[in-house]
Amino acid sequence: MDVVGSNEPQERGSSRRGIVPAVLAVALVAAAAAVLAIGARGSAPAQTMQQRVRAVASQLRCPVCQDLSVADAPSPLAAAMRARIASELRAGQSPAAVRAEFVRAYGIWILMAPPRHGLSMVVWILPLLLALGGCVLAAVAVRRWTREGASLRAADPGASSGAGEDHIAADDLTPSDRRLLARAISASVRSGGEGS
Amino acid sequence: MRDLPTDATGRHPTRLRGRGAVAVWLPVGIVVVLVALLAALFAFGLGRNPTVVQPVIVGKAAPAFRLEELSGRGAMSLGAFHGQVVVLNFWASWCADCVAEHQALESVFGRFRDQGVAFVGVSFEDQASAAEGFARQMGMRWPLLGDPGSATAIDYGVTGVPETFVIAPDGRVVAKTIGPVSYPELSEQIARALPGGA
Repeated sequence: MDVVGSNEPQERGSSRRGIVPAVLAVALVAAAAAVLAIGARGSAPAQTMQQRVRAVASQLRCPVCQDLSVADAPSPLAAAMRARIASELRAGQSPAAVRAEFVRAYGIWILMAPPRHGLSMVVWILPLLLALGGCVLAAVAVRRWTREGASLRAADPGASSGAGEDHIAADDLTPSDRRLLARAISASVRSGGEGS
Repeated sequence: MRDLPTDATGRHPTRLRGRGAVAVWLPVGIVVVLVALLAALFAFGLGRNPTVVQPVIVGKAAPAFRLEELSGRGAMSLGAFHGQVVVLNFWASWCADCVAEHQALESVFGRFRDQGVAFVGVSFEDQASAAEGFARQMGMRWPLLGDPGSATAIDYGVTGVPETFVIAPDGRVVAKTIGPVSYPELSEQIARALPGGA
């Protein structure tokens, strides 16, 4: 039997085990970057009047509905608001000016998403800060565990073999423990020899 | 058991013990602070009624309007009431709360009509014939205006009916009531808006 050849699958397995987390990490970072990029870019610019009205209406809350935008609500007031948005846009008002008009009448509550300035910025920034903090915390924890594992292996090289078993340093055994252990090992060797 | 590392003198370095304490207590402290912040946020949020929205229009100039009377007698504008306290009531014939508040409105109208307080009703999402029939039935004694396309309702930030606005003689909105008005509340709002009011 080729001794060198027998080690190859194990090495290939360990290298594959190293690649999988790396690929997963890269995929996660890429997905997060894509989500952020799409979020920052926003939806495609509206072309027709209907699309422009919908773009503004979808940012406004229907005052008489439960968590529906003016664009999606079937209520007569929402329909009146859509008609108002259309007439303002036709009159040459910018979407921001139309939105501001509704905010003047109803308050900031009328916006489906909080504005990205002033105190409302907190609700946009806080989740990112928390996510960043979580990543840093996870990185620090992983680094600490890796270091502890490495230092344990350096202090007790025998620990690397037989994963999952408890290891006792030879110095920790009392003389009677050593005698018991030696007896057990010799018994096991004997029974192993008989079995083969 | 593994011994703690010692320095050159053989003593356990106290710095390590200090660092270990920080490593244990820092996350605990962070968690305690976060839990305290969350508890404060919940206490603040649960102490408030989420259905109550602070009207932003109060303190601002009342949006101008020019609307046709339901009776067909002509148009009426807010400018015509300059220098008077105006009670602007948005209502509808299909609205049960509007029926419920009518007696209070009628009583307040009777109390303040001689002090130059103008009452104006604005029909909200209603058919003209239904609104007129309702007004006759209820015996409304103030002008009733139609609001096509709810344009004026949107200008005033109306979220439903009934809603009642009190406009001071200088044209500022001084009070907004969402839901049915009560006699003492509306009387007090008007008294404050009148010249010489608190």
